[in-house]
Amino acid sequence: MGEVIENVSFTTTSAISDFLKKTPAQDIINWGRKNSLWFLTQPMGCCGVEMISTGCSHYDTDRFGIIPRDSPRQADVIVISGYVTKKYLPALKRVWDQMPSPKWIICMGDCSISGGPFYESYSTVQNIDEIFPVDVFIPGCPPRPEALIQGFIELQKKIMAKKDLGTDY
Amino acid sequence: MIDADYILNSLTKTFPNDLSESKIESDMRLTSYVEKDAIFNVCKHMLDNLECNHLSCECGVDYPDRNELEVVYHIASYEHPVVITLKVKLPRDDPEIESIVSIYWNANWYERETYELYGIMYKNHPDLKPLLLIDEMLGDWPLRKDYEGFPNKTSKNLV
Repeated sequence: MGEVIENVSFTTTSAISDFLKKTPAQDIINWGRKNSLWFLTQPMGCCGVEMISTGCSHYDTDRFGIIPRDSPRQADVIVISGYVTKKYLPALKRVWDQMPSPKWIICMGDCSISGGPFYESYSTVQNIDEIFPVDVFIPGCPPRPEALIQGFIELQKKIMAKKDLGTDY
Repeated sequence: MIDADYILNSLTKTFPNDLSESKIESDMRLTSYVEKDAIFNVCKHMLDNLECNHLSCECGVDYPDRNELEVVYHIASYEHPVVITLKVKLPRDDPEIESIVSIYWNANWYERETYELYGIMYKNHPDLKPLLLIDEMLGDWPLRKDYEGFPNKTSKNLV
């Protein structure tokens, strides 16, 4: 009892994670991650209606592992689906910080990409991609649900290619 | 039957000096300018005696040529089919008017929004703070026509 063991280096989960990123095991982990992209139901405008209908049974996004979730703590992907007003930006940052890593972000619609009809309005924020690490931009006003599914598939391809911004490689 | 005629008669009888440019457009529509010191009592009279119990909207208009701001009240009723438009002229340098939240409770958010977008100060408002804009933008008054926050860049310059 109480014997001191010397020459033992302790490890942490982040050290294990950093080690695994350099090994082929990361491919298997990424394969699992890309097939469970649960997105946060956080509609912000008229694109939000398309986002909700994408999550409904007609488009059956379950076959790609894409499931809508109501809580940021259970979500992997957040879809910015509308203009971001200056008043809303702190709340959006807070939701983003509440999501556990690994997490990804998708810009849906012209409003979130460039401002759309609200380009350089007095109350909206420009250049969302300088604030959040955005992986996929889906143009359209609003994009069809098929386009959103296409965006998710592009994100899956990025994750498999280890090119996504959600994970540090 | 209370119609626009009846309401105008009642208002001119009660406030003989405070109404101007009154115009009856139809049985249902009445437009009038009200002096800014009288608007509180006019609204109270309309609610208490004329059954006009629904404030549809309250907004601001900017007239830089006349150096004036206007506050527009649309007051309707659930009892009879009348919509009354009341307008109040305010000086542009010091726009200040009595709040009507104690009469129509739903004026609260209308007045907060008019305050942050036009800079119209409402006296005796219970909680006069910005509604939709961030606190840092207070004082810019974005919907005034001389607001310079819009950069001179439109889509035609980008193409």
